[in-house]
Amino acid sequence: MYKTLSRTDLPGLIKEWQARFTVYAPGRQGDMTAFQPVDDPAQVDLSAVNTRFPPKALFLPQSEVMLQIEADRLQPVEDPDAPRLILGMRPCDARALQLLDTVFMTEEDQDPYWASKRERTTIVALGCDDPCETCFCNAVGSGPFDGRGADVLLTVVDSIDSIDSTQGTYVAEVRTEKGEALLAQLSDAAAEQIEVAQAVQASAVESMQAPFDATGIKDKLYSMFESDFWQHIQQSCLGCGVCTFLCPTCFCFDIVDEAQRGQRVRNWDTCMFRTYSLEASGHNPRPTNVERTRQRIMHKYAYWIELIDQIGCTGCGRCVRYCPVSLDIRHIVRSAQAWEEA
Amino acid sequence: MTSNNNPYQPMPMRIARMSMETDDQSLMSFELEFERQEDQDRFFSLYRPGQFCQLSVFGKGEAPFGVASAAWEGDFVRFTVNKVGTLTRTMHAMRPGDPIGMRGPLGNGFPLEAWEGMNLVVVGGGCAFTTLYALVNHVLQPDVRAKYGELMMIYGARTPGLFMYKADIASWYDRRDIKFCQAIDVHQEGWCHYTGYVPDVTKEIGPSEENAVAIVCGPPIMNRFTFPVLSDLGFPPERIYLSLEKRMKCGIGKCGRCNIGHEYICKDGPVFTLAQLQQLPNDL
Repeated sequence: MYKTLSRTDLPGLIKEWQARFTVYAPGRQGDMTAFQPVDDPAQVDLSAVNTRFPPKALFLPQSEVMLQIEADRLQPVEDPDAPRLILGMRPCDARALQLLDTVFMTEEDQDPYWASKRERTTIVALGCDDPCETCFCNAVGSGPFDGRGADVLLTVVDSIDSIDSTQGTYVAEVRTEKGEALLAQLSDAAAEQIEVAQAVQASAVESMQAPFDATGIKDKLYSMFESDFWQHIQQSCLGCGVCTFLCPTCFCFDIVDEAQRGQRVRNWDTCMFRTYSLEASGHNPRPTNVERTRQRIMHKYAYWIELIDQIGCTGCGRCVRYCPVSLDIRHIVRSAQAWEEA
Repeated sequence: MTSNNNPYQPMPMRIARMSMETDDQSLMSFELEFERQEDQDRFFSLYRPGQFCQLSVFGKGEAPFGVASAAWEGDFVRFTVNKVGTLTRTMHAMRPGDPIGMRGPLGNGFPLEAWEGMNLVVVGGGCAFTTLYALVNHVLQPDVRAKYGELMMIYGARTPGLFMYKADIASWYDRRDIKFCQAIDVHQEGWCHYTGYVPDVTKEIGPSEENAVAIVCGPPIMNRFTFPVLSDLGFPPERIYLSLEKRMKCGIGKCGRCNIGHEYICKDGPVFTLAQLQQLPNDL
């Protein structure tokens, strides 16, 4: 089902949504954009292609209190029921949430913190008619208008050549019941509009170069597990972990006790740190950046594929953009594909 | 893992009994009792030897430990804890009656049903003997024992003083339904059992692979050298079982760190066959 929504009507619609939801959208924060609660619809900046921090933090906060001491016992911290709406999430980030559901929304041992935030959130994603240089969603089994993980997917039509962002119309693809409930009052998109939207989508897909061919990457990486490739490829890596902290599909966490606050907390962790896998005996199965880089790449490009037949990278390009030494995962995958043992 | 389905919330437990196992004061056994009947019922409805639990002392952290008791032993869960870090040092200084948090049982445990009708060759060394002790104790129950064929246990420690559960395992020598072999690394005066490293002793004893499974649990170096010995004796990798460990946080396949290839030791293990392990990358 497709609905139509004029850009000029969007602020009014956001206001209406605010009566029912806490609305999150990209907005300026200093020199970057970030998902933040919308106070004034005028602050919403849908021109931001990719926020520096992925919106995964709205589901898996960087630091989250899991349990709290009450009457000498650790009791779960209840998630508030308040419904949320995230506007302007890019397809790579929405799809990442769907990938992470396979970790957290399992039949057995479902993660209650993740599940409750997922359930109370509606996602209005915005397709990318003008993907960035660092984007490579098209190479990892996705694309700039991949609607997976979104309740609604917006496509800009009528304003492709316009620099005036107040002009134009969105065609909204309603993908779930949540999305249907959200947009029930909007009128259906005309057949011509849907055609234009499809043309916009097709031209965006066409505009993207494929930085690598992922065919057979899983088996290739498995065959290279003991290879010198990893030593070779990681040489400039500082082990800072920014690639993992900014990654929408990285989910590793540590559990620590904050004794003075009486709280058991989980914090983002990263396989790029030495202590991540250090055992009490002193043994560390991943003692250097060689093993740790291998783990990061193989988790995304081999283990995820083994588990759910999908690459565990959505091609958002953040690790490419923010690596302080310009390590580029596209280059790593391309080099792996081309690697021949000496 | 608890009645309200929050898998991260520990069950409240109390230390019922503590006992020092080894003469170097490093390994202490804890028998924990449940504070809530529903937790106890739930635990024993799920527990099988080979599984582990996450134990925690608030403010000191949480860590995984293999269960060292069989269900029939009583309404308690036993763990033997090596004093190596913040949490374990704290635990060693605790007293009976002190509270402790427990999550579990976690992991897959030993495939007891698949082993029915077969001979069991159990090979253990050092402080990894805990879950093997639970296994042997389970199998030695009168109504369980008949389900399995011959039971052989090879247990090595560096010195006589480093064996765990000494009083109990000494009684195994009096039984006809278990062949028990103890080994120390270097001979000491008065030692009348085997001397040598576990792989060598296993080779010397030469257990038959006929209709048998081997269960190996020890330090990585012992495991690595025991597998070829068992293979030479004819055990195929599908009938060699081992229990792995790695640093863990969540214990339920979420926090990421205990993976070996695409498998998580906490959720998909800790018990694997050597055949399974050979399919996975060497990331231990």
